[in-house]
Amino acid sequence: MQYELRYRVLEPRRQTYQNVIDRLGDQPASRYLEATLDVEPTENFHYRPTWAQDRELYDERFSALRLTDPYSYTDPRQYYYTPYVTQRAALHDEFGKTLGYLEARDLLAKLPEAWHTVLTSVVVPLRHYESGAQLVSVSGARFAYGTSLEQCCTFAAFDRIGNAQMLSRAGIAAGGGTAEALKEAKRQWLDGEHLQPLRRLTEEIMVVEDWAEGLLAVDLVDSLVYPLLYQHLDETALLGGAGAYSLVAQHLATWYADQRKWLDALLTCWASDPERGEDNRTALTRIAATWADRARDAVASLTEAIDQALPQAASTTVLGDLADAHATAWTKITGGAA
Amino acid sequence: MSVPTKKAASKPARKLPLKERYALLTRDLDWEPGYVDREQLFPHTRYEGIKIHDWDGWQDPFRLTVDAYYKYQVEKDKRLYAVLDGFAQSQGHLSLSDASYLNAIKLFIQGVTPLEYAAHRHFAYLARHLEGPAPRFAALCQSVDELRHCQTQIHTISNYNKYYGGFHSWSKMHDRVWYLSVPKSLFDDAMTAGPFEFLISISFSFEYLLTNLLFVPFMSGASFNGDMPTMSFGFSAQSDESRHMTLGLEAIKFLLEQDEGNVPIIQDWIDKWFWRAYRMSALVAGMMDYMLPKPVMSWREAFELYFEEQMLGGLFPDLEYYGIQPPRHVNDAIAEKDHLSHQVYKILHNFSFAAAFTTKTPDEAHMAWLAEQYPDSFDQVYRPVWEKHRKIEADGGRVFFQGLPQLCQVCQVPMAFTEPGNSAQISFRRSTFRDETFHTCSDGCQWIFEREPEKYVQAWLPVHQIYRGNCGGPTVPDVLAWYGIQEGDNGEYTGSPDQLAWAAWHSDGDDKAV
Repeated sequence: MQYELRYRVLEPRRQTYQNVIDRLGDQPASRYLEATLDVEPTENFHYRPTWAQDRELYDERFSALRLTDPYSYTDPRQYYYTPYVTQRAALHDEFGKTLGYLEARDLLAKLPEAWHTVLTSVVVPLRHYESGAQLVSVSGARFAYGTSLEQCCTFAAFDRIGNAQMLSRAGIAAGGGTAEALKEAKRQWLDGEHLQPLRRLTEEIMVVEDWAEGLLAVDLVDSLVYPLLYQHLDETALLGGAGAYSLVAQHLATWYADQRKWLDALLTCWASDPERGEDNRTALTRIAATWADRARDAVASLTEAIDQALPQAASTTVLGDLADAHATAWTKITGGAA
Repeated sequence: MSVPTKKAASKPARKLPLKERYALLTRDLDWEPGYVDREQLFPHTRYEGIKIHDWDGWQDPFRLTVDAYYKYQVEKDKRLYAVLDGFAQSQGHLSLSDASYLNAIKLFIQGVTPLEYAAHRHFAYLARHLEGPAPRFAALCQSVDELRHCQTQIHTISNYNKYYGGFHSWSKMHDRVWYLSVPKSLFDDAMTAGPFEFLISISFSFEYLLTNLLFVPFMSGASFNGDMPTMSFGFSAQSDESRHMTLGLEAIKFLLEQDEGNVPIIQDWIDKWFWRAYRMSALVAGMMDYMLPKPVMSWREAFELYFEEQMLGGLFPDLEYYGIQPPRHVNDAIAEKDHLSHQVYKILHNFSFAAAFTTKTPDEAHMAWLAEQYPDSFDQVYRPVWEKHRKIEADGGRVFFQGLPQLCQVCQVPMAFTEPGNSAQISFRRSTFRDETFHTCSDGCQWIFEREPEKYVQAWLPVHQIYRGNCGGPTVPDVLAWYGIQEGDNGEYTGSPDQLAWAAWHSDGDDKAV
């Protein structure tokens, strides 16, 4: 049986903020919408930036990719600050538990030699790649037009530091609790032949002026690296007696699945914009033409190194399939122009 | 490819020292670029004249890894949103001290929340453009925090917006309404400057030097006036703010220690940003002394405690070691502490027909409090003004200033401040630039103007823009509509929709109230 609690009801004058009412009518709005729609200033800026004198403080011209209405894009995850940190606290909590388990048994340090090699010379050095990806993403946090989009870039930027820290902590564990593996990983990142194409590519993406182009160039690398290292190798590890690797990899795969959600929705939104769609598809095609092959080559250099240690992983073959599938998906989004 | 051996595995595991572990998880992620030029990667760090010899000289003021950050923040947000939900469900707004209190919160969401957002965006700029990985990471954390503050404020105030006027169009208003160009132009000024000046203006001057005068009075006002949600927000933001203050202090020390040539540049920025932020605090002064039904402390008392004692008495003697002097024009601020809030509220009272809040003449009890707080100025100068208003209002009138005020070219506050030491004489400064005359309200603003006239001539001055026809049309109703002000948001509090609804909700036995 339910009891009947009487409480005071007052007639509200409005259900939400006026800008939300203007877009969606006077009805209760989610916290995501209230905290996102029209938050970024749009007009009457007082001074021109000394660091970009031909731009306004918020200016859609910071990228070739634009939306007629920036709020035609919303995050399918509906992340504002609180749900974002809630999700990520859970991710990092799970990762911490995994790592605690692995550390207590010294399992990463005791990986089969070939796996240990792959972890310390291919995977852990990517903490620097994550750091580069952070720099690229945070550029979107500042220069993207519209709160719904920049907010995703902000969270992505913070995520990349989180990813870098997950990889670093795995590196510390792989080094038996010391900084040795991280130092070695950094040497590899700076000098290891197999990592130079990716390092070079990362640095060149970091200086791209168009924040969205940079973000997508990173995504072109991500869309090969993540499925390869954290899904495909995960499966191989499970079959090959390297369960500890799989335990680490799962968390990065979880992150990547989440990252895909907002980026895929964004690509679709750009490509299908009623007024800017055509220009956007042209820009997307150009971006893919500039970066996709380079991403593939950079990752191929990693898979060659992996195949040397773990021929059973057949990483280079898998990379080929991934790149082809990705090119097809991209072509679909850009309407065949690529 | 070299294959690292597994010798580490045979060693007993040891724990890395905390400081080293933190460095490995943050600044060690960085590397010296080899395929692109450093200057190409960080193009904005040279043009301001600041010299940094060793970015690694940056001391991390706090050591928070990402996983710990998420964990703390989730806990804080859980508690905050529980308060917001409970308050909304129990119609907690009915137990505020008075509906007129909400005028302070209207000013807050229109004037301050957008600044949180601006800080969020531009700390992301620092997270991209500072060369050192440690300050970049600190800036990234602050950027994410500021987004939190902006969004939790929107959610905190969302419930008031359902029942009261003036909250509904805060972001449009921040872009358009005259008195909001004061805070907006300040942040625009900081954001359009280079990365180091932004750091000094916001991290140091705003977050450290003046935060107790700019931000905290709203939170304290909330606690005195029954506004649980805003107070909870304030407490919830406190640990973030203390990180930001620490960052501000580390930033200034780091820049001063890096090169002696930095000292005069930073002194100039402290001089500029003290005055800029102080002028904006005039709006807060008016709020503290006139908008809170239950006042916390007077502007004068807050200024003496938080600025004169803590900053001039505590901080600046420390900074003297680096060759830094107290801000230029600080004596003008001290000289007008008995007058600032009264002069500002007079402006707001006169022009609230064009504001998204309401004003009222202080009643007898309020005036008695003001007289006690301002023994050297209130009865002498300001009581007669309010008594005149009371008389007119007793006869059914209400005075609003007809016409538009002239604005200071720098701070954009209407030109109604008086000369330091002479409260009968309006302070009025004139400068010429490219054969045009520009007006400023004080020596401080004039000095700022003449330092960078090419910047301040760009200002979007709301009054000029109205005259130019850029604000919706030639009449007051045209402009108000363009501002997004709705019927009853503005003008006199007594008889306003907020006041009438409040009275109805609090009248016993009235059916409409239940």
